[in-house]
Amino acid sequence: MTPDDEMLMAYADGELDALTAKRVERAIAEDPELAAKVAAHRRLRSDLAAAFPLAGGRDPLEAVIRSAPAPIARRRPPIWRQPWLQAAAMAACLVIGVSVGSNWRAGPIATDRSGALVASGTLARALDNQLALEAGETRIVVSFRNTQGSYCRVFAGAATDGIACRTAGQWRLVRTGAGSATARGDYRQAGSADMAMLEAAQGMMAGDRLDAEQEARARQEGWEPAKSERR
Amino acid sequence: MAGFDDELVGLLPRLRRFARALSRDAADADDLCQAAVEKALGARAQWQPGTRMDSWMYRIMRNTWIDKTRARSRAAQTFVHEDAGLGVGDAGDRAIEARVELGRVERAMAQLPDEQREAVALVLVEGLAYKEAAELLDVPMGTLTSRLVRGRQALLAMLGEAA
Repeated sequence: MTPDDEMLMAYADGELDALTAKRVERAIAEDPELAAKVAAHRRLRSDLAAAFPLAGGRDPLEAVIRSAPAPIARRRPPIWRQPWLQAAAMAACLVIGVSVGSNWRAGPIATDRSGALVASGTLARALDNQLALEAGETRIVVSFRNTQGSYCRVFAGAATDGIACRTAGQWRLVRTGAGSATARGDYRQAGSADMAMLEAAQGMMAGDRLDAEQEARARQEGWEPAKSERR
Repeated sequence: MAGFDDELVGLLPRLRRFARALSRDAADADDLCQAAVEKALGARAQWQPGTRMDSWMYRIMRNTWIDKTRARSRAAQTFVHEDAGLGVGDAGDRAIEARVELGRVERAMAQLPDEQREAVALVLVEGLAYKEAAELLDVPMGTLTSRLVRGRQALLAMLGEAA
């Protein structure tokens, strides 16, 4: 057998199986020209290693890597199982007065006697009637029970995103932020507002999010926890 | 994600080396390395812990390099100088000749066609097995070995050694 150049190269690189390597070895032993080719291949490898040495010392990119902000964990589903991520998410939620704006009286938000913000109008109707992820002007992102046992719902609307919890027969807004579907000119990453709200919701949640069945039952019961399970 | 940072920092020397083997000069290599690291930081959520970060990073760097190379050749074709009518392909060679500080081997590498250079860089400089290199480049083994053997023959010829 006369090995071709590809085979000699593979032999020089130690890439041949034992049987083929043996055969090449035998051929080389009989032909100094083949042996010289193998030697040249090996020399080239060491020449290249010498021409491209590993750099020593501290790399300036190390600082870039170490100072890179930790990302929001997009790839750690489900979000409900994550350790609670707080500060960043909280920071992302705007203060009520800023985000709701000056026209909140006319909109889907009102105040109750104690001065707390509660849902009214279309928002209240959506919170009462809509199941999670149903299409609508306001989207319900998820429903859950808070640590007091009340039902809460994360919603995303044109003007306002937020979390509302059922308190004394009303949807009290415990958290609001600028709407994720605003007509403002700036670019807003899809789902980023939802994400901030979800992270906030996670901190309020007792147990898991409601599944579709639990949610439907809660709606049927008017979002009042059954007496038997009330604490 | 401290593990990610540490692992990426640990790979930097190899990434530098790979970048230099792919690029035609040191400035390009620095740019390439920086761009690849930034891409990796942006895509860190896509990296799965427990898998090999070196393969992941080589792939990112190689893709970045291809993008840059393509962008550059497009630019070269679009903005041809009038006095470049002598030969569009000359610019690179003249630049290479001007860089006398480059070693013989580096100069020879710089003259290889891209497909051969990346194969040589992965196998002979970075020390990947043929199979790993073929997977990384998304080519069959036969394609990898034929590029590799042609690249080597060209290098040996340029360096004055026949194989």
